[in-house]
Amino acid sequence: MSAALTRLEPVLPKRGWAAFGAVALLSILLVPALNSLSPSSALHLPDYLVTLFGKFLCYATVAIAMDLLWGYAGILSLGHGVFFAIGGYAMGMCLMRAIGEAGVYRSKLPDFMVFLDWKELPWFWRPMDNFAFALVAALAVPGLLAYGFGFLAFRSRIRGVYFSIITQALTFAMMLLFFRNETGLGGNNGLTDFKQIYGYPLHAAGTKHALYMLSAAGLCAAFLICRFVTTSKAGRVLRSIRDQESRVMFLGYDPTRFKLFVYTLSAVICGFAGALYVPQVGIINPSELQPSNSIEMAIWVAVGGRGSLIGAPLGAFVVNGAKSWFTVALPNAWLYILGLLFVAVTLFFPRGLVGALSRIRK
Amino acid sequence: MSEEAQVLAPSSPPSDSPADDSRKTPRSLPPAAESPRRSSFSLLLRPLTVEKSRYDALTHGRKALLCVDDISVSFDGFKALNNLTLVLDEGELRCIIGPNGAGKTTLMDVITGKTKPDSGSVFLVGDATDLTHLSEHEIAQRGVCRKFQRPTVFQGHSVFENLELALPGEKGVFQSLFARLSGKQREAIERILETIGLTDQAATRAGLLSHGQKQWLEIGMLLAQEPRVLLVDEPVAGMTHQETERTAELLNSLAGERTVVVVEHDMEFVRSIAKTVTVLHEGSVLSEGSMDTVQNDPKVIEVYLGES
Repeated sequence: MSAALTRLEPVLPKRGWAAFGAVALLSILLVPALNSLSPSSALHLPDYLVTLFGKFLCYATVAIAMDLLWGYAGILSLGHGVFFAIGGYAMGMCLMRAIGEAGVYRSKLPDFMVFLDWKELPWFWRPMDNFAFALVAALAVPGLLAYGFGFLAFRSRIRGVYFSIITQALTFAMMLLFFRNETGLGGNNGLTDFKQIYGYPLHAAGTKHALYMLSAAGLCAAFLICRFVTTSKAGRVLRSIRDQESRVMFLGYDPTRFKLFVYTLSAVICGFAGALYVPQVGIINPSELQPSNSIEMAIWVAVGGRGSLIGAPLGAFVVNGAKSWFTVALPNAWLYILGLLFVAVTLFFPRGLVGALSRIRK
Repeated sequence: MSEEAQVLAPSSPPSDSPADDSRKTPRSLPPAAESPRRSSFSLLLRPLTVEKSRYDALTHGRKALLCVDDISVSFDGFKALNNLTLVLDEGELRCIIGPNGAGKTTLMDVITGKTKPDSGSVFLVGDATDLTHLSEHEIAQRGVCRKFQRPTVFQGHSVFENLELALPGEKGVFQSLFARLSGKQREAIERILETIGLTDQAATRAGLLSHGQKQWLEIGMLLAQEPRVLLVDEPVAGMTHQETERTAELLNSLAGERTVVVVEHDMEFVRSIAKTVTVLHEGSVLSEGSMDTVQNDPKVIEVYLGES
């Protein structure tokens, strides 16, 4: 036996790295390239699809974060919309400040503050002028919230359905908070009318491409981070906690810390996705905090395949693709279709699309 | 080891039991303040370390390793353990028997931190820390390990991975994230695989093993933990005659290097392995001694046959 230290499981096998590189490069470059073709070309991709796919990439990043938590650690959070929205709000605040005096009221303050007759910027808005600070906040605030909330929940050994319910309550409470004008985040209307990001106009094709490519790169990075975690010994401990929590304790591991770690990491990734989502869709408001949004995130993962880092983003693409199509074709039927899809997948493909695909291959 | 070093600061007084010169772990304690009798509800007020006088009284003149001192536990008024005191010596194989409801499982739960007692303390010799204040994983890290009645292995992991998780050290989150297996650890796992006869199944998912193999894997995991005290709950329940014999052999070979405590109903099995037997009844020790002594103890006979 060699004396060298070895990782028991590689992050990706050799062929896996090649495949990952190819998919990553393709996903980053293909859409902007097709969009750049002349509009007369048959392969030209319309602008709105670039934004739509960019949005899907953010959702897929959330799905990976959800899957890390649910699929590997067995913790079903039905409040992950909170972290996504907070990341989005942090970016939104920065974009609001970047509007400067170009708003409707030509004021230095964001429009909604003028409308509310506020005379000066609330304290928590001030550092948001700084782009780097806003980025850090988009990751740190969701992380800190998750750490604090998770600490209390996991320390009290709240598990399973009970945890799902209180996370659902968390997102609902946050929604009520963000709806209030006094909270200082635009209330009902949220933050919108963004003009530029880091000096680049948001409507320019180049900015849109860059945001899209960042989203794709972010998804790839999230995949690698989660893959690193799940193939490490910590990943094996997490799966053990999912299956036999008390046994893990008697091996000398503290499940609380592992759960707290993975919950916080998952929240940070969601915050990141939210921060990239907002400049692409151009608005963030409390409807992102609706409990149903967080439940939908769980459905993406369930449809794609729980416990598979490929399945979760796949599920996000499939469900959101279907949503985009059905809400245009059959607007009233979408929620029924979503419900049916969820029931059908749980009944017939308990391991999601990925499970179904691997069964077909066999 | 390191905990001992921390607790037994150089200022601790010299050992007061003269007979233990050969022992590596010193037995005396840093002086602890005299504390009044503990009331049952004031878990928070109880001192974090055991009193020196109790410590000395229990460990005096023997090679003690684990002391259970005056433990009481009640569930909704029912006294599961009633001022129970038990001292386990280093390297011994102790069987704990008793009728249903005698408190055997509760005793295991208290020692491993699953149940917090109303009063009393549990401590390892060489360390004044009262284990009843620690959580399960901290007690496990101190080398008190438990085997449950039903084999609980991690079904989704391979046999090898199960053993890897059980190895001592590196139990923190970030240590685990960046953990790498050293050649030494790999050898340790391979040795254990040989001992439990699962070398060929190293890559097999534990969920696919037979019942007996799972039991063996779990024992392997306990070995990998390098425990000082091994608590074994009804090890032969549901085993074939042959498997029972092998288990008896294994437990006997484990004792000596470490202290093994077996809770068992099967008297035949107890007779075949035990040197010292403790009989529990209604939450306290009824009798203690060799199998013959215990079996001829009129109190024991009364409990097992007489009453009803």
